[in-house]
Amino acid sequence: MLEIHPSYPALASVAEKYPTHQGSLFQTYNDILLAQQWRDVQVIDLVLCKRGALQGRRPRTAADADLLLHIVPCSLAESISLAWIQDVFAALANPPSIYLAVVSDDSSIVYYKLSSGIVKPSI
Amino acid sequence: MTGRIPIRVANKRAYIWDVDDLNRIRSDHRLCGLLVGTLPHLSQQNVFLGLPSQLTPEEATLLVEKEYAVFVDDANAYPEPSLSQFQQWSAEQKEYIKHQHAVLGAENMKTQEVAQLAVSEEAIRKRKERELKRQQKAMELRKLQEMEGDPVAGSELPVLIPAVNAGPSTSPTTPSAHTQYNICITTPSSALSWYSPDSCTYSTIEAAQKAGIWDFPLNLQDRARYGVFKDLWEQGFFLGGGIRFGGDYLVYPGDPLRYHSHFCATVIESLTHSIQPMEIVAHGRLGTATKKTHLFCGWDDEKKTVSYLSIEWAGFG
Repeated sequence: MLEIHPSYPALASVAEKYPTHQGSLFQTYNDILLAQQWRDVQVIDLVLCKRGALQGRRPRTAADADLLLHIVPCSLAESISLAWIQDVFAALANPPSIYLAVVSDDSSIVYYKLSSGIVKPSI
Repeated sequence: MTGRIPIRVANKRAYIWDVDDLNRIRSDHRLCGLLVGTLPHLSQQNVFLGLPSQLTPEEATLLVEKEYAVFVDDANAYPEPSLSQFQQWSAEQKEYIKHQHAVLGAENMKTQEVAQLAVSEEAIRKRKERELKRQQKAMELRKLQEMEGDPVAGSELPVLIPAVNAGPSTSPTTPSAHTQYNICITTPSSALSWYSPDSCTYSTIEAAQKAGIWDFPLNLQDRARYGVFKDLWEQGFFLGGGIRFGGDYLVYPGDPLRYHSHFCATVIESLTHSIQPMEIVAHGRLGTATKKTHLFCGWDDEKKTVSYLSIEWAGFG
């Protein structure tokens, strides 16, 4: 059924390569593009981590609108590790931070900002 | 080893009994300990309770490893006093009691007048009058109830009323001021002449572990906790217990009495240790709501290094 969704062509190559992660990638892509209204959203292939990720820019009204940000989707049911997160950072050429999209079965998504090193709270 | 702070170890727990040592540990070495007081089941863990201060295993180990402090096996630091030491102690006690009597005697002169007023003839007479009135009232009430034919009041059991002692007061004699005295037990007992810690003082963790008075760090979990604690301390942070925010440590930029913590840290034993995404959500959201970043501190037991990951709510979604 995924194949007939209008978003599918943009995700097809990566979604088919990593079928176990296509559900969370699909949901995150739609949420980021349609609900969060991000711009320049593109799918990237994290070959080292064997899954797809997204990059894009936040809406024009956001404070950091011009920054190219990275989002890595994962399912709530997965187990991850610090080593896995470090691999993700490495695969994305070590940005200061990434966003982890935690996707649950009922389609709700939460986003958490992960920064490498000790980074003070932003307030 | 001179000049190093003695950490008194009892039952594998580290205590500081001297307030000057506590001051040095806090202001020179950025470690806080917790004032737990001497009531084991009523420890208050706040700044208002007294000595001793209990150090966490991490704090105590760090102080010894950095050569700021030594472990003293407290239970074995007090051998039996010699006869002359005991006689001297006994003489000092007697001197102290004598001093108390001298002070008490002077105060009694003043209070005696007040005390005498309470047992004067006038006071006794008034007390008896009050008692008599009370009894008369009770009698009248009983008669009234009997006349109304109240069965309950009628079958009332006689109440034993103690006879008022009419004679002169025969209360047992209280011990006189000459036999009463206070026993004073001072908090630090290191001033006792038979206190000899030298044979049970250990200046390294290994020596203390060998002697069987110290365990920490015992296993991978302990090594990870200690590795993270030391690494954060070496970066200049103050560390406190993390229980308030569901972590292992709270990380302060300065003395916790002056600063809020910026981070709540969780120790992760190894980089491959599995983490549930729900943990990231729970820690991240609580941290953000309390203006803290949550730190995942991953310990690498081979390289003996720590890598940090800071977690915050993204602010959208």
